[in-house]
Amino acid sequence: MLRLPTLSRALAGAAHSKGSIPTSNNVRTSVRALSNLVEVFVDGMPISVEPGTTVLQACEKVGVQIPRFCYHDRLSVAGNCRMCLVEIEKAPKPVAACAMPVMKGWNILTNSEKTRKAREGVMEFLLANHPLDCPICDQGGECDLQDQSMMFGSDRSRFAEGKRAVEDKNIGPLIKTIMTRCIQCTRCVRFASEVAGVEDLGTTGRGNDMQIGTYVEKMFLSEMSGNVIDLCPVGALTSKPYAFTSRPWETRKTESIDVMDAVGSNIVVSTRGGEVMRILPRLNEDVNEEWISDKTRFSYDGLKRQRLTQPMVKDASGQLVNTSWEDVLTRVAGALQGVQGSEVGAIAGGMVDAEALVSLKDLLNRLDSETLCTEEIFPMSGAGTDLRSNYLLNSRIAGIEECDHLLLVGTNPRYEAPLFNTRIRKSWLHNELQVALVGHNVDLSYSYNHLGESTQVLQEIAAGTHPFCKVLSQAKTPVVVVGSSALQREDGAAILKAVSAISQNARASSGVEEGWKVLNVLHRVASQVAALDMGYKPGVDAIRKNPPKVLFLLGADAGCITKADLPKDSFIIYQGHHGDVGAPMADVILPSAAYTEKYGTYVNTEGRAQQTRVAVTAPGMAREDWKILRAISELAGVTLPYDTLDEVRRRLAEVSPNLVRYDDVEEANYFKQANELSKAVNQSLLGAPLVPPQLTLKEFYMTDSISRASQTMAKCVKAVTEGAEAVDEPSIC
Amino acid sequence: MASSAATRTAAKAVKPIFSSDLQEARRRVRELYRAWYREVPSTVHVYQLDISASQCRDKVREMFDKNKHVTDPRVMDMLVIKGKMELEETINVWKQKTHIMRFFHETETPRPTDFLSKFYHGHDP
Amino acid sequence: MAAYTNIVRRAVGQLTGHGGIKGFFVQLFRANDIKTGALVGIDKYGNKYFQDNQYFFGRHRWVIYTTEMNGKRTVWDVDGSMVPAEWHRWLHCITDDPPTTHPPEPKKFLAKVHQINLSGTLNCYVPYSTTRRKIHEWVPPKVGEQ
Repeated sequence: MLRLPTLSRALAGAAHSKGSIPTSNNVRTSVRALSNLVEVFVDGMPISVEPGTTVLQACEKVGVQIPRFCYHDRLSVAGNCRMCLVEIEKAPKPVAACAMPVMKGWNILTNSEKTRKAREGVMEFLLANHPLDCPICDQGGECDLQDQSMMFGSDRSRFAEGKRAVEDKNIGPLIKTIMTRCIQCTRCVRFASEVAGVEDLGTTGRGNDMQIGTYVEKMFLSEMSGNVIDLCPVGALTSKPYAFTSRPWETRKTESIDVMDAVGSNIVVSTRGGEVMRILPRLNEDVNEEWISDKTRFSYDGLKRQRLTQPMVKDASGQLVNTSWEDVLTRVAGALQGVQGSEVGAIAGGMVDAEALVSLKDLLNRLDSETLCTEEIFPMSGAGTDLRSNYLLNSRIAGIEECDHLLLVGTNPRYEAPLFNTRIRKSWLHNELQVALVGHNVDLSYSYNHLGESTQVLQEIAAGTHPFCKVLSQAKTPVVVVGSSALQREDGAAILKAVSAISQNARASSGVEEGWKVLNVLHRVASQVAALDMGYKPGVDAIRKNPPKVLFLLGADAGCITKADLPKDSFIIYQGHHGDVGAPMADVILPSAAYTEKYGTYVNTEGRAQQTRVAVTAPGMAREDWKILRAISELAGVTLPYDTLDEVRRRLAEVSPNLVRYDDVEEANYFKQANELSKAVNQSLLGAPLVPPQLTLKEFYMTDSISRASQTMAKCVKAVTEGAEAVDEPSIC
Repeated sequence: MASSAATRTAAKAVKPIFSSDLQEARRRVRELYRAWYREVPSTVHVYQLDISASQCRDKVREMFDKNKHVTDPRVMDMLVIKGKMELEETINVWKQKTHIMRFFHETETPRPTDFLSKFYHGHDP
Repeated sequence: MAAYTNIVRRAVGQLTGHGGIKGFFVQLFRANDIKTGALVGIDKYGNKYFQDNQYFFGRHRWVIYTTEMNGKRTVWDVDGSMVPAEWHRWLHCITDDPPTTHPPEPKKFLAKVHQINLSGTLNCYVPYSTTRRKIHEWVPPKVGEQ
């Protein structure tokens, strides 16, 4: 297996130097004086850079792109593809720009005869063993090798020998390997070991016999595995579900937001002919950098299956039958007119946009009902959801990079928010972050201090009697993250109280500046923060205690309420995009648009409002959620005062201005007050251990109505439990 | 002061197109109407229109009625000139069937404007 | 002279050979023709096949359709596809031997009961899309299976 010296040093340092002060050898946080900048010249243009900057970075600073295959911004430097060779004036040999630090007064010649000849030579060697199958290669059109051979390669080849061939590996149902195309850049190997944190990929053999693989036949078991498809500069690693479906120049790209988890990863939805062909990550340094999780990337085929496309009603025999919008809307409006006050209730699911939430709230408020609940529970004692700081990931995802001690409580961020976990791992790797966990002992892809899984530990840390308190008290910038699943227990309020106390103690002992946030809540569903911002009641207890005559399920598919919880004659309306858990128990089904089919506002767990955009039109007769609610309100005689999306958003701004400040995080405060209020909670902690619901990889894949409908995700679950061979399909090529 | 005087003289010295007074202009309109009225059956025949001559005459009447409110002889003259151009094009078969039928817009359904009709109508009308 | 009498005889035959005044008019309106000829045969559906070689080639064989075929009233609504296969070949001069004298060889592919062309009726063939569906709808569970 390949072991990169820099990486192993970093890993060893992180593993052995726990408790030590962060050493100053990391480039990211160190601030150097301006005086000792190095002046270099790129094609004669002068530029001042920090010492230690590589030639490639210096060139990038003046806007000169150096061709590269193995070098990647977010991975360690390997320097093995040699494509970035450039000539340095007065140097005897061309140097690899990605690995060579600049020296004072160097003149880097990026387009000299020697440089061009070096690139041409490297390209000729790379192409010597690369198959000429671009016409049937899925990377065609977005292939670095294709582009760079056009730019820098020779127009003829002196190659006459036979080409090397490499056997393909089966590394799971998501990634297709055509290893003959591999140019051994080792980006995938470095990604797996550095970012994903699974040492599954490596190299075997030397020279012409070098191969990338898993050594023994095994799956690439990671929740971030799909990113190697984007990383691979050639077509060696491509997407299995996307294989042979479309070409990059055929698709229309729509910038959107992912709603599979509460992180709100930025994505690009590629569509062709009204069909989502694939989902790719979009760069956002504050949220997902340039990675996305496998659920985000591959569950798009769930958008094409189990869809609700026609309004449905139950006929006399109790069978759901298709009908028209006029018919269902009159029925729903009639049902709403017949009830008043608390006889009507609503439950909002995990993938509902803020526009629909506000319309539903306005509609029910006009019917004198306040019974609006979310599926996810949040403790309401103490400050509850009144203080925003109580339910946000206050220190933000990117803030983890500045933190030095992290305490996780009752959460498994690796599967609840994979991108957040990647940030923690990045910080752990580069910034000597120390992680401790109270909760079930899970594999987080980095080492951490496991303090135990009982709530007793939490109590002790809060009281200051636990040995970990000493570690925490030394922290300069502590962060405490509590998983939303821990707060959904019976003793959620007590856990929040304990976590709040720990945070306040840690803040006091660290003496960190006022703006630093310590307490964080990590949510699991995309709509929760927006719903709480709008004043929805978390949890369905109110509905269970006081069952309404008319229940409105807005995409509620978690199965919090069943038919058994409601009286026999209650009228259930389900509005959503998938026939999952909620739809079969409904009397009336209103089909709505999924997240790729509407303009929707989603607020992620850190309180960042982002919007999805229309990539494809909603299938069949499905309509946008807020439009359906607006139409119902008109027929029920309580017309909502908005007709267009802009007017709905204006209403959103009235309710809470942060909901329409896109890509902006509205900070929350009043931690002290929230802590004071939480002290009033006199709930005792239960003895049950803190176990998050998603413990292993197979529980990660299918969590919501879209991923449950996805065949790719089902295959993943099968492959994880039974091995990759179980879902292996005979490959066409 | 000077400018208003100028406009007044300009208004007085306005040059007629054809008709010196309203009566004459109306006469020209009537003549054009008659010419159209007589031309209609042959138009229906020549262009093989799928509508009857009376429907065409109704349409001619409607087009004339559309400008009923015009009382300025100059404007009326200009409209008559335009009408004559149309007539000439029709008589000489410089038009095609579709150009004639463009006067009849009945097949065009008005797009919904209120929220509920738009909702029933489709995704984003 | 004999030729003229022959013409008159044929004319009289055409006027009287359809079974009275009513028959004459029925024939006129159904077939738009009143010609008479030798009855070559009647198929099992009741279609009558005639021949008269006095007419020029192409008009010398004709069919008078039956009034009821396969449960369909065909008094006025007649169709060329009412002619079964074995008579079709005789009628279209593919052969000179009518199936009355030369019964067709029994073949597996020959229909037992001749079908009239269904085009333009409710039972006609309608082409349908065979491409992959882009969206798979949710099918609600049947009442009994819940």
